[in-house]
Amino acid sequence: MTGTLNLVGYGLSAIGPAIATGMIFAAYISGVARQPEARSVLQPIAFLGFALAEALALFGLVLAFVL
Amino acid sequence: MAMKDEGNALWSIFGYLLSGMLFWGGVGYGLDKWLNQGYFLLVGLLLGIGAAIYLVWLRFGRE
Amino acid sequence: MRSLFRLSGEGEGFVPPSSNDFELPPVFGDNAFTTKPILLVFLSVILVSVFFLLSSRKAAVVPSKLQFAGESIYSFVRNDLGRDIIGHEFMRFVPYLFTLFTFVLTNNIFGIVPFLQFPTMSRVSFPYVLAVFTFVVFHYVGIRKQGIVKYLKEIMFMPGVPKPVYILLTPIELATFFLVRPLTLSLRLFANMFAGHLLLLVFILGGEHLFQGVLGLKLISPFAFAFGIGLTFFEFMVQCLQAYIFTLLTALYIAGALADEH
Repeated sequence: MTGTLNLVGYGLSAIGPAIATGMIFAAYISGVARQPEARSVLQPIAFLGFALAEALALFGLVLAFVL
Repeated sequence: MAMKDEGNALWSIFGYLLSGMLFWGGVGYGLDKWLNQGYFLLVGLLLGIGAAIYLVWLRFGRE
Repeated sequence: MRSLFRLSGEGEGFVPPSSNDFELPPVFGDNAFTTKPILLVFLSVILVSVFFLLSSRKAAVVPSKLQFAGESIYSFVRNDLGRDIIGHEFMRFVPYLFTLFTFVLTNNIFGIVPFLQFPTMSRVSFPYVLAVFTFVVFHYVGIRKQGIVKYLKEIMFMPGVPKPVYILLTPIELATFFLVRPLTLSLRLFANMFAGHLLLLVFILGGEHLFQGVLGLKLISPFAFAFGIGLTFFEFMVQCLQAYIFTLLTALYIAGALADEH
């Protein structure tokens, strides 16, 4: 077996953002489903939360290849 | 279509974050190689993430 | 033989599937142009053309089964991907979207058709070329619609930002539009097809290899085969989805280039 342990570390660190993205959109969907007119308020918040969580995942990806 | 707006926005956000990180991280990596330092890469990556999140806020976050 | 099929017992012992399984020698002759993926591309072009020629040849008000099948694929692309996303100018782009969708779908599905069993898009050059087409189309459309200066200005300068910040933001915008968009478009398709084919190889070749082992291993091998069959259906779903997403994103990019403000 050959390979780099960085990728295993990246796999582990991707669990966090994955769960975070799931929770953000679960909350967004149930919020919109309960109160459809709240959509325009919720949408920017959901997108920003997604961007923050995704940024961490991408950060891990880049570091796994660079370090 | 409302749902397709959201799908489009999600792919754009992903693209912005990726390109912010690649561009400014790449600049940092180049500076590291050029000046024989070790910290420009990290600075560049953080700068790229910050700028990309700012861009996402400009495009999708404000009303 | 290796240019067409793959068996677990090449050489000695079990050779685990790897990226080598995607680099096939030519089927006949001694050049780089007669490998299996290229023959499959030609086959897909023939299949798609023949199918749609036959299904549209005797168009009737009460459609035959073949005509109905052809028309439902066409109306899916035209209504769900063209009209709903691009808007009132959509008819100009339907031929491109339709060709793209059927071509990618056929080539993906080759991954699970018995005896063909190789998704053409798992060789990265094919998605690259398709992404270059999309890249040229959506930039050309935007430049024609808005003029090159206005189009570039709209990409590069986000309104409502203090001037010095543009140093930080403009490279990101440019990189997104000219590098990351075509790259992610092609790599998404490639990675899905590559990983899917590798997954099927692991389960089916593993099952075959287990079957050649001692009695205990022979008993386990049906489970590996059953899982492989289940994953084949899963792969079918992924292949349709990826063809859809590729066309959807193309339509979205065209719509974004056509829009006056984004």
